Amino acid sequence: MYTLSKTEKESLEKQARNVRKNVLRMIKAGRSGHVGGALSTADILTALYFNIMRVDPKNPKLRERDRFVLSAGHKCLALYGVLAEKGFFEKEILDTYGSLKSRLPGHPDMHKLPGVETNTGALGHGLSIAGGMAMGLRMDGLDSKVYVIMGDGELAEGSNWEAAAAASHHRLDNLLVFVDRNTLQISGPTVQVMSYEPLDKRWEAFGWSVKEINGHDMAQIVETVRSFPFEEGKPSVIIANTIKSKGISFAEGKVNFHYWRATPEEIATAEKDLEKVGE
Amino acid sequence: MKKGELLDPRKTFGEALLEAGKRHENIVAISTDSSKGSGLTPFRENFPERHIEFGIMEQGAIGFASGLATTGKIPFIAAIAPFVTARPFEMFRNDLGYMRQNVKVVGRCAGLTYSDLGATHQSLDDIAIIRTIPGVTVVSPGDPKEIVGATLAIAEYEGPVYMKIGSPKMPVLFDEDYEFELDRGVLMRDGSDVTLIGTGTVLSKAAEAVDILEKQGIHARLINIHTIKPLDKKIIVRAAKETGRIVTVEEHYLKGGLGGSVAELLALEYPVPMKMIGVDDQFASNGPYEELLGLYGLQSDQIARTVRGFIGR
Repeated sequence: MYTLSKTEKESLEKQARNVRKNVLRMIKAGRSGHVGGALSTADILTALYFNIMRVDPKNPKLRERDRFVLSAGHKCLALYGVLAEKGFFEKEILDTYGSLKSRLPGHPDMHKLPGVETNTGALGHGLSIAGGMAMGLRMDGLDSKVYVIMGDGELAEGSNWEAAAAASHHRLDNLLVFVDRNTLQISGPTVQVMSYEPLDKRWEAFGWSVKEINGHDMAQIVETVRSFPFEEGKPSVIIANTIKSKGISFAEGKVNFHYWRATPEEIATAEKDLEKVGE
Repeated sequence: MKKGELLDPRKTFGEALLEAGKRHENIVAISTDSSKGSGLTPFRENFPERHIEFGIMEQGAIGFASGLATTGKIPFIAAIAPFVTARPFEMFRNDLGYMRQNVKVVGRCAGLTYSDLGATHQSLDDIAIIRTIPGVTVVSPGDPKEIVGATLAIAEYEGPVYMKIGSPKMPVLFDEDYEFELDRGVLMRDGSDVTLIGTGTVLSKAAEAVDILEKQGIHARLINIHTIKPLDKKIIVRAAKETGRIVTVEEHYLKGGLGGSVAELLALEYPVPMKMIGVDDQFASNGPYEELLGLYGLQSDQIARTVRGFIGR
């Protein structure tokens, strides 16, 4: 079993802090955005791009690369933040967020930015696209993996369960899904808006191999992903328990920061918070 | 294929897809419990590893096709027309159109084909909804030769395509040496009194109507628009200028189909009096196919009569 060293762990935590700072940098430029879900996934995305995935910022279309699909496209500030940190594009681009024709739309567009693999935003699309990628890579005899982040609120879309059924029917064990269970959606607690429980049993019933982790613990994230596929011949899903808006004190776990219209005072506080996170 | 011969469009498509599959090893066929009925059997038998079954799952299948296309595959999804257009519209729009994926969606048994089964299975709005998606080519072949030509052409063309075919046997209208060219309207008969523009499953009815009109001393021009998007503007504007009146004929709603496309063009470029023949704003009835066509004025004698009334002769 792979064990994350203390040095690697600290390095990843530092990268995640930088990713969160990048998110804030975009909010500062554009004044508003889907910050809650971006910050709940920031640690997972950092672990994927800095420890797990075979990607090359110099050659973003590398045939043998691993693929990442952000099914919950509104969390894209974290994706932009991690791609910038990884060197897929100049960080100055982050300052264009919210401006006319910015290469950073409020939901990602693969034709605008290197490293973005799909156009998502409408929920319930990413998993089928990722499944098709996994299938195509396997047909080509490549060992590339496909990673997906889905929101927990997103799971109410029926199309996800079409994709879940097809992925297990076609035995796509090169496919790994994270459910970012931050437990909140626009209207309130997700299980109250439309329950997905029992979440693990649902995935299991669809033929997936399920693990549950703390989605902010770098060692757990990395070590769990490195044991994937959890079972041969089955797609894998990690239920990642997370905190919405993680890292910003006044917004953590609060439903009204799903989409944040930031005041200058709030931004100043958030900047201080993110300096503290690493201490 | 001999002129006048009646051929099954689905079988014809399936044979053409097999040929395309031989030419391009990246082509994969996607079925949503629709393989045999869509003519995919020859492809499946020849390339079993390139035939992927999804069951009754059209939204998912389109997403998977998009993902497959990102790895260089050329997916052909063939299924009953409304189930790959109206039902998964957002997947078509975002996963294929917005992502500009090289995926071909083939809606079969389009129009009133499922005459007895009623409005859930008929597809009279597919052109209207799919042509709103930027960058999607919409093809409606008018005879078996065009089905073969279009299948091979869209396999070569890189980008998302929607192609619709019917199900009842259709006559071969074109000569042996006819070459299908995507995006290009076809002048099938010259004439100066009026222009009929037909497409797809009822192109043959429009052609017969032109024969009837000719016998009655009316020299009608006949244009075949097999590619509804992008539209061959030149051939249509020229017809408007030279004949002064346009009649469109299609097995589709009047709104948003061939007639709508032609009207949008001519209203801006060269307005002339127009008549549209098709189904007007209603869920169509059920019954035998040819009788159903007759209910909506799509039989050749009815078309000829409508044209005569329109031009006042």
